[in-house]
Amino acid sequence: MQEKQNNITLKNYIDFTQLLQEYRGNHEENRLFALKHESLLKSPQSILLQWFRDNAFRVKEPLYSKTFLEHSFTALTILSFISFFLGLFTGIGLLSYSGATPVNIIYYLLFATFLPFISMVITLLSMITKDSSFSFFKGFFSWYWVEKLLKYFTLKEKFDWVDTYLSSDLQKWMGIYKLQRFSLLFSLGLMIALLFMVISQDIAFSWSTTLQISAETFHNFIEMLATPWESFFPSSVPSVELVELSQHYRLGEKLNYEMVNQANKLGAWWKYLAMATLFYAIFLRTILWLVSGYFFKKQLEKEFLSLNGTKQLLYEFNTPYVSTKAMTKENHLDIIEEENVPVKESVNSQYHSILGWNLSDNEMLLVNDSKKIQSSRIYSTGGNHSFEQDEVSASEAKGRVLLYVKAWEPPTMDFVDFLEILVENRDVFEVELFPLGTIENNYIRSEKELSIWKRKIEGLKFDKVWVIDA
Amino acid sequence: MHSDKNEKESSYPKFAVVGHPNKGKSSIVSSLALDDSVQIGDTPGTTQVKRSFPLIVDGKVIYELFDTPGFQRARRVLSWLKKQEPVSADKRSDVVRAFIFEHRDNEKFRDEVELLEPIVNGAGIIYVVDASKPYGVEYEVEMEILRWCGQPSMAILNLISEEDYREQWNNALGHYFRMVRTFNPIESTFREHLELLEGMSHLKEEWRRPIKFAITILEDLYQKKVEKSIDIIVDNIQKTLSFVYRLNVKGEKVTPEEEERAKIAYREQIIKFEIEQTKAIEAIWNHRSIEKIENILSLENVGLFSEESASIFGLSEKGLIITGASAGAITGVGVDLMFAGHTLFMASLIGGVVGGVGAMFGFNNLYEVKILGQSVGKRELTVGPMKNLNFPYVLLGRALYHNALIAKRSHALRGTLNLDKDTFFLEQLIGSDVRKKLEEVHLQLRKGKSLSEESIIEYKKVIRASFESLLD
Repeated sequence: MQEKQNNITLKNYIDFTQLLQEYRGNHEENRLFALKHESLLKSPQSILLQWFRDNAFRVKEPLYSKTFLEHSFTALTILSFISFFLGLFTGIGLLSYSGATPVNIIYYLLFATFLPFISMVITLLSMITKDSSFSFFKGFFSWYWVEKLLKYFTLKEKFDWVDTYLSSDLQKWMGIYKLQRFSLLFSLGLMIALLFMVISQDIAFSWSTTLQISAETFHNFIEMLATPWESFFPSSVPSVELVELSQHYRLGEKLNYEMVNQANKLGAWWKYLAMATLFYAIFLRTILWLVSGYFFKKQLEKEFLSLNGTKQLLYEFNTPYVSTKAMTKENHLDIIEEENVPVKESVNSQYHSILGWNLSDNEMLLVNDSKKIQSSRIYSTGGNHSFEQDEVSASEAKGRVLLYVKAWEPPTMDFVDFLEILVENRDVFEVELFPLGTIENNYIRSEKELSIWKRKIEGLKFDKVWVIDA
Repeated sequence: MHSDKNEKESSYPKFAVVGHPNKGKSSIVSSLALDDSVQIGDTPGTTQVKRSFPLIVDGKVIYELFDTPGFQRARRVLSWLKKQEPVSADKRSDVVRAFIFEHRDNEKFRDEVELLEPIVNGAGIIYVVDASKPYGVEYEVEMEILRWCGQPSMAILNLISEEDYREQWNNALGHYFRMVRTFNPIESTFREHLELLEGMSHLKEEWRRPIKFAITILEDLYQKKVEKSIDIIVDNIQKTLSFVYRLNVKGEKVTPEEEERAKIAYREQIIKFEIEQTKAIEAIWNHRSIEKIENILSLENVGLFSEESASIFGLSEKGLIITGASAGAITGVGVDLMFAGHTLFMASLIGGVVGGVGAMFGFNNLYEVKILGQSVGKRELTVGPMKNLNFPYVLLGRALYHNALIAKRSHALRGTLNLDKDTFFLEQLIGSDVRKKLEEVHLQLRKGKSLSEESIIEYKKVIRASFESLLD
């Protein structure tokens, strides 16, 4: 049952191709699927088929397989009937016996052995050739042209996708397989015709040829043809005497007297003809039919695994799904563009109070010295001071206040809290915020650093606070 | 029983990346999580809530990273904690937990609650500082709070700009953290990424195994990404070189307009193939939000056919002739080779059709233009496959260059992708002996023949070797 389920049919193949064009899942889903069917992972074909079965419902209508298989079935049925009846009528035609002249077995042998033999050789050549060489050989198959015409005149437009879906190799094996079936049915028709004619008439068989062939040579030839079955059914091979007896010359006014006298013996040829048909036209053809069916299946499996998308699926089945991404989407922050930032382009040399946020007393002394700025009240705030200490410093500040900040350290809410207290101090009528660069850079801050401070101050909307851009 | 299960489920390592605002926490997380969607900004407070970045393998979390907002009111937090003293060391993390509990709905401490919460829930601390700026005492408050949490911790020195104050920082951080590492998320290589993870595994004994497993997984994933991107490049080469554009012709003869239309359609399809390739490669390496420089050399416009790209991404005239002759390609297409060699260095390849320059050298020197089926009344104009000998190398050179840039690009980078190719020369990357192998495949494709599996494998090997040398 399991094995049957793992068989790839043409319908599966086409539906799977269509599914891959419409849906392939994602790595997470596919890996999860593979983990659920871990036992199938060893067989790519099995796991792909299982994936297909699980997702088959996603294939959107119209199903290409439905149209294609319906058409194929119709064409196959029609052509199968035609093949069978063509064989049947050919057989009846070849074996029609009026009693006036015997039936020449050479015509029948031509259809029962030589034509099948040649056709099988061409089939074998088609099997082993590819592309342009195959195109050459396939031209010899009459059924190929019949089917091509049928397709062209009936549903050509509906099958435009066939060349895209089915590779030339697959089409080749499909064609060869179908042609063997038609030929087999033709041969069966021929065989039934032979049996029917033998049963319904008393046929006198003969052989006749323009070539100067002796009965012995002809006997050798038919014996050679009978090699495959001679050993287990020797009575089917005509004796030399029968061959001699059944040689027929058309130019004789009347039938050979001896021939007429022994007409009952001439009918013995039918066993030979039946065996020739059975072996060459039916047995060998059946083998070829089965072989081409096998190779068609193998090709189907091969292409099933190499369809556009299967490689990715197998990769996703076999590769652990690794996710490093965030589980939640981030709400992006709207950046406030600076518009009316109160900016001072120079720094004064004298301030009522100087405060340094996250700067020590010594660091502030160095800045003041470097910038030639003076003040009687200097407070170090932030850093390792407590918030209560900063509150005291903010309340003691007066008049015009210079507030040093490290330009590279972006303003935190801790700073904003402190600035709020400073601004609320009624004795402070202006706060000039001075972002400083590092001492190594002579306190020169970068434009980017200044911009961050400007944006922050702009956002705070404090009337008293200015940013020094000097 | 139930709580045991929960404990087991959440026993994987967790790391909270914390620090002062704007010190590159999100960049580090973005780089470690290979996620270019993380918002990184120069405005403090860009990260407003903590975000979890788990490494999940087949649905199982191996470790989890938390990107957190920066400390905003660290002094007040520490002041609150200290007010609870005296507290023995083993109870200090409970005090931090109590702080979170008490201030969970307090907007004032939103950031601190966000950043401390994963830590008190067992996450290791990755404290990030900008070591390109001087150390400041204000950091000690933050470090003290983290010490109160009692979780294993390490510090990362991120060099955001060019100055280097690592010595100062090392002296200070050594008092608070067991391990101090330098990691630049913008410039770090994949190897450095893994080394940092390795370092993180040493924070706690029981984290070693899962992190080691994660490293194996990430290494494997990296190799698979390399393999996949090579597959995409080779598929595109095959598809492009064998591409034939077909146009049904209505009249008795092919009009110049029809021919022109077919040539343009051919060219557009080839550009489309390359755009698809670049997108697929960017998706493989998780770079979905890249902005690229939109100029003539951008891979997403007609740059494929520019004069410059032909000379830089392809082979030199000499190199091309050696390659062509050695692979036997010169026979039969000798004239093409001569013309193609000139067109390579004097004008654009196919872009000339649009620009008018190509007319000087003849369009047919590039690819075949055929009119089929005149005898049976059905006319079809075909353009392609590409016959120009240098074209596959141009395509290959551009693909390898783009792939290498993308593979090496940090997920923390938010700038425009610079496709400046001044230093890229395919000839130096692929030796003449190797080119012979490539040319054999190109020859098959130009003839419209399908390639054997062995030759594709061999071709991919060559491309992979060249690509890996670009990654080093």
